[in-house]
Amino acid sequence: MKNTPTVGEILQAKGVSRRGFLKYCATTASLLALPPAMIPRIAEAIESARRPSVIWLSFQECTGCTESLTRSAAPTVEGLIFDAISLDYHHTLQAASGDQAEAARHAAMEENEGGYLVLVDGSIPMGNPGFSTIAGISNYDMLMETVAGAAAVVSIGTCAAFGGIPGANPNPTGAVSVGDLVKDKPIINVPGCPPIPMVMTAVLTQFLTFGQLPEVDKYGRPLAFFGQTIHDRCYRRPFYEQGKFANTFDDEGAKAGWCLYKLGCKGPTTYNACATVKWNQGTSFPIESGHPCLGCSEPDFWDKGGFYEPLSTGKFGSGEKVAGAAAAGVALGVAAAAAGRRHQAKFTKEG
Amino acid sequence: MDLLDFARGPALQWAAYILVAGTIWRIVGIILLKEKPDYSEPRKRAGYGAALKVIWTRAFTAEPFAKATLYPKMMAYVMHIGLFAVIFLFTPHIVFFEGWTGLDWPGLPNSVIFFLGVATVVSAVALLVRRLTNPVLKLISNFDDYFSWFVSTLPVVTGLLIPVRVGLRYEDLLAIHILSVALLLIWLPFGKLGHTFLVFVTRGTTGMVFERRGAKT
Amino acid sequence: MTSIDNIGVQVEAVHGNVRPILNEVLHALDKLIDTNESTVIDLAGLPFAPGELDELEETLGQGELSAQLDALGASRIQETHYPGVWWIEHRNAHDEVVGRYLEITRIPEILSSQDADICAGRARLGEQFE
Repeated sequence: MKNTPTVGEILQAKGVSRRGFLKYCATTASLLALPPAMIPRIAEAIESARRPSVIWLSFQECTGCTESLTRSAAPTVEGLIFDAISLDYHHTLQAASGDQAEAARHAAMEENEGGYLVLVDGSIPMGNPGFSTIAGISNYDMLMETVAGAAAVVSIGTCAAFGGIPGANPNPTGAVSVGDLVKDKPIINVPGCPPIPMVMTAVLTQFLTFGQLPEVDKYGRPLAFFGQTIHDRCYRRPFYEQGKFANTFDDEGAKAGWCLYKLGCKGPTTYNACATVKWNQGTSFPIESGHPCLGCSEPDFWDKGGFYEPLSTGKFGSGEKVAGAAAAGVALGVAAAAAGRRHQAKFTKEG
Repeated sequence: MDLLDFARGPALQWAAYILVAGTIWRIVGIILLKEKPDYSEPRKRAGYGAALKVIWTRAFTAEPFAKATLYPKMMAYVMHIGLFAVIFLFTPHIVFFEGWTGLDWPGLPNSVIFFLGVATVVSAVALLVRRLTNPVLKLISNFDDYFSWFVSTLPVVTGLLIPVRVGLRYEDLLAIHILSVALLLIWLPFGKLGHTFLVFVTRGTTGMVFERRGAKT
Repeated sequence: MTSIDNIGVQVEAVHGNVRPILNEVLHALDKLIDTNESTVIDLAGLPFAPGELDELEETLGQGELSAQLDALGASRIQETHYPGVWWIEHRNAHDEVVGRYLEITRIPEILSSQDADICAGRARLGEQFE
């Protein structure tokens, strides 16, 4: 691997004071949801870390994840690019294009063989490679070629992590997630539609700071941000417990900020950090703004019943099927009664 | 399809079909039976008024037996009222019924429901203990008695476990709760749990027969 | 033209977080008095209802000392109405809030001049005499 300078050296060269560096470490600890007592360790780790190379691949996506990341406050993505990581390839953000860009990607892969991070947003269409290509290369080919020499892969957004909206019913392009295709590299899923910017940068920062990837849950999501449900951290939870629910979007309950369970909130079954970390530098999150949680960081959230259907709605099957069951009941009842009456008749005759 | 999707989807659907089919089967099967002819002189013309009256009066023990049956009666009332409250006055359940019938009604705060749920389980256990220790009850109890007790109590227990969150994820506890409800719905029309709808038929019949004979209703 | 302020919402107040945090501060002050140990409370991980953070800030109030730090963006270090309880707010170069802490200590670490900076400054000053 090329002898890149450490982050500490880079910051020093940029004239960042020790105070500035401490501030950076404090905000990093906050980002990684680590206790403040860890700040000295983080300072130590960052100072001696080397800039890793990052290759960003965009497939079947809406670019929302990139947009979300560029809105990230701390560190800013420009800050990330220039100070912390070396973003060697990104379709939307890079100035180069075409052959030049692909050449840059190959150069980065060769120079950092075994040590670079691959970030992917968007799902990969398997129905027909022509559905989504870059510089004439299919998504599948580009993915498999690029991850071959990677240290790890991070799936950014629900599309890359679980298939997302392209993968929703009826999935016309045969969209699959990164995890469905890559089996021999560690994969971190950072789902969300889009993911919270801070969460995305936290994963990268963790890799930078500790040279390791975070602990994950059974869906490969970092536990630090996806370990709790929205419901368990929602500030409206007291209203849920007290039985104060909004019934429509503009009734008194909604205006008073009551629980949105009856309006279809998927908070109880959704794991994400929206309720604590919030969006737009802590401004608010969907529930705080009055809209029920969609469950956007969960697999197949598009197909899990309507967004406005409460979680405890039953699915009883069609009315016809129930009527069929009723008819069956009548038939069985008549048959049972007929047998019973025959038995009774025998009885009475004998008796 | 994960466990929760299965519980909320096919499991509950089939439980509903079996519940509907089984309930109608039993009701039709009983109603269509021939009435045993009563050759005695009717003391009074039996009408549906008597049926309704007895449905109501049987909720209260007849005077001679009141004292002896006080304890099991109280436990049974706690259990039934508690069950009614946790099923029909808990908001997520009300939402469930609303999705099905379109009707909405106010619920009780979660802490009250939790307390009532615990009371229901405690009284159910008390009744089971009585069934196991009382010599007469022990003798006449069969599989139906114990299994009906089990499928009625299990949903309350699994429901209480959800806020308690015994180390499992919310979705898994919810799935187990819904599956236990499905089990209850499947068993309900058959066996003694059928009293949920048959009690009205039996008490009504008793009322009409008694009135015809001039017995006290 | 209507503005966002015209939306007729009257949010029912939730006060879940303020008292527990104040209680934590109380215990931290006890620790500081008894053993001279500092405590840092990260306010970022707590689910604040709308207005609660402001309520907390108002409750803690402003004390005698406030300092403005300019490093990778502005930061405000404010001693609250309760000596020993400091409110620290970090902003980045784009003036976005990136960190909020309560430090219960005699003096927040970040206010002291740092060793590395002192050495670097001494070297710079030394050049003046060459």
